[in-house]
Amino acid sequence: MDAVEYLDLLLKSLLLAGVYAAMAVGMTVIYGVMKIVNLAHAGFLMLGAYFALEMFQRFHVDPILGSVLALPVFFLFGMAVHWLLIRWLPKSDTPTLASLLLMFGFWLVLQNIAYLIWGNEDQSILTPLTLSSVQIGQISIPKVNLVVFAAAVFCMAVLQIVFHRSWFGRSMRALIQNPYAAQIVGVDDQKTARLTFGLGAAFAGFAGGLLGMLFSFSPDFGRPFLLRSFVIIVLGGLESVSGVALGAILLAILETFGINIPLPVYWHGWSFHYLPPSYQQVIPFALLVVVLLILPKGLSSLFNRKWKAA
Amino acid sequence: MVGWLKTILPWLLLAVLLLLPKTNPSDNLIRLLFITAVWTTTSLGWNLLGGMAGQVSFGFAVFFGLGAYTTALLMHAGHSPYFGFIGGAAIAMLASFLIGLPTFRLRGPYFVIATIGVTEAVRVIMNNLDVTGGSSGYRITEDQPFSQNEHYYSAIVAVALAVLVSTVIANSKFGLALRAIKQDEDAAADLGVNPYTSKLWVHAIAAGLTGIAGGIYARRAAFFYPGDVFAFQTGISILLMPVIGGIGTVWGPVLGGVIYGMVEEEISVKFPNLHLLIYGSLLIAIILLEPDGLLGLLRRVFRLFPSQQAKTKLAGNPG
Repeated sequence: MDAVEYLDLLLKSLLLAGVYAAMAVGMTVIYGVMKIVNLAHAGFLMLGAYFALEMFQRFHVDPILGSVLALPVFFLFGMAVHWLLIRWLPKSDTPTLASLLLMFGFWLVLQNIAYLIWGNEDQSILTPLTLSSVQIGQISIPKVNLVVFAAAVFCMAVLQIVFHRSWFGRSMRALIQNPYAAQIVGVDDQKTARLTFGLGAAFAGFAGGLLGMLFSFSPDFGRPFLLRSFVIIVLGGLESVSGVALGAILLAILETFGINIPLPVYWHGWSFHYLPPSYQQVIPFALLVVVLLILPKGLSSLFNRKWKAA
Repeated sequence: MVGWLKTILPWLLLAVLLLLPKTNPSDNLIRLLFITAVWTTTSLGWNLLGGMAGQVSFGFAVFFGLGAYTTALLMHAGHSPYFGFIGGAAIAMLASFLIGLPTFRLRGPYFVIATIGVTEAVRVIMNNLDVTGGSSGYRITEDQPFSQNEHYYSAIVAVALAVLVSTVIANSKFGLALRAIKQDEDAAADLGVNPYTSKLWVHAIAAGLTGIAGGIYARRAAFFYPGDVFAFQTGISILLMPVIGGIGTVWGPVLGGVIYGMVEEEISVKFPNLHLLIYGSLLIAIILLEPDGLLGLLRRVFRLFPSQQAKTKLAGNPG
């Protein structure tokens, strides 16, 4: 591979990282405020993709606009889910298995309702953007990737403003830092949790629509992305929104370049081999286990450790 | 009276199941019971780790699939299928150590998420492995004629073994240690239980049972592929049965397995996507309303209508 190809791949992985970040951020805020690992995230992603598809096919709404429209729709949906199911769970400082199984059951329900409605064929959203591309020197980038990246980054920026400039954002940050102290100073934890779950679902629906423009999807769509989201939020330190961006970039780069890194193999003496391309899908899953084991507190723990030592 | 009934009922059930083929039942009934017994075995295996020790794993499809493939490969090499089942159990146990050694360093939900990662990774690898035919699957050819009853008996023996192992563990010191780990890992460690090794061993036993079930399933199915035995859905099914039936008990997983086997065979044929919808709703209802599963629900119902004997007992022993 020459330098241009590397640059091409690097650029594409960075564009992918934007969507990955939007996809994982919903999971992070829910984990941070409620300490729930939202397995139903996969279901919301999948529904978001179908939402954008239906809006596109029935009302000829551009899928980018459709994804943005998914934000308020899924916000209300998420709040309803919290009101119906999640608020009955016992509160805890650490994720409980009951919450995990509950969210898993809800994912199964969403997934199979989708099977009933849309069947199990692979769907994809094709717009004029899908097939055209922008030429920069020797590198050509599909326009759809650029647009999706822009939308993702814009919404992340809006979220960052909400997070740091609004009372809701302050309540969320307070609950993330210390739920007891937050309640003492008057944060309504139930209300904030409901809004947070709505926000998490909204971003999942939004990211689902964006992912639906990049990949084909079926009701089983969310599963690989659920695990990717989890890798990202663990890399990002589970509770920090800015950590998510870092985790997303790292995952996207490792996924793209994983098959281009020579691995030392011992077979009648040392030699270097590349991972076969068909094994590329293993990378996020293997990374998940490795990251959980080596860096359970995220990338920032690396810096913190050094900082403390110094 | 009740205690006496509790000891005799399982043996009675086993006797009925063993004698059933003598009464010339329909092939369909035997097939249904075979499938139910296979699933119940995996359900009991999962329950040892998930129910007794409280370590929920989404990754039991790995052991089921490894059992299936090992049995098939051993039979292909000319060994007896029974040797194949034992080989399947052994390989599944070996795999359980490989998976457990790193992942049991993680606690609670982190372990759960890691098992999802492991099962996805293993399926992708099996889909690409040339020795086993990759994603196109593997076929078992036997030179002896197909015997419905032999398959049936091997499944019944497996499920009886699983019940036996579960009962022995539930009543042993090891079982107590597992329950202590489920309630509070640190407290258990303070009391002299090594949570790490206990979890490893119970994981291995659970994997062995699941591996045997996988082998028995594969031998009857005669053809299987990674998207089937290693599927995420298989891992989900193995987890759903004990949770629905009632985790942490011996008979809850059996109840869950029987319900699952029957529902699966009857409903999934007619409505291929409805059964998981039902299980999902059932899972939500159980988590929110009755964490002890259907067995807990049954117990509650029985408590609402206590027998005359129980009433007098209650009246006679105030407090």
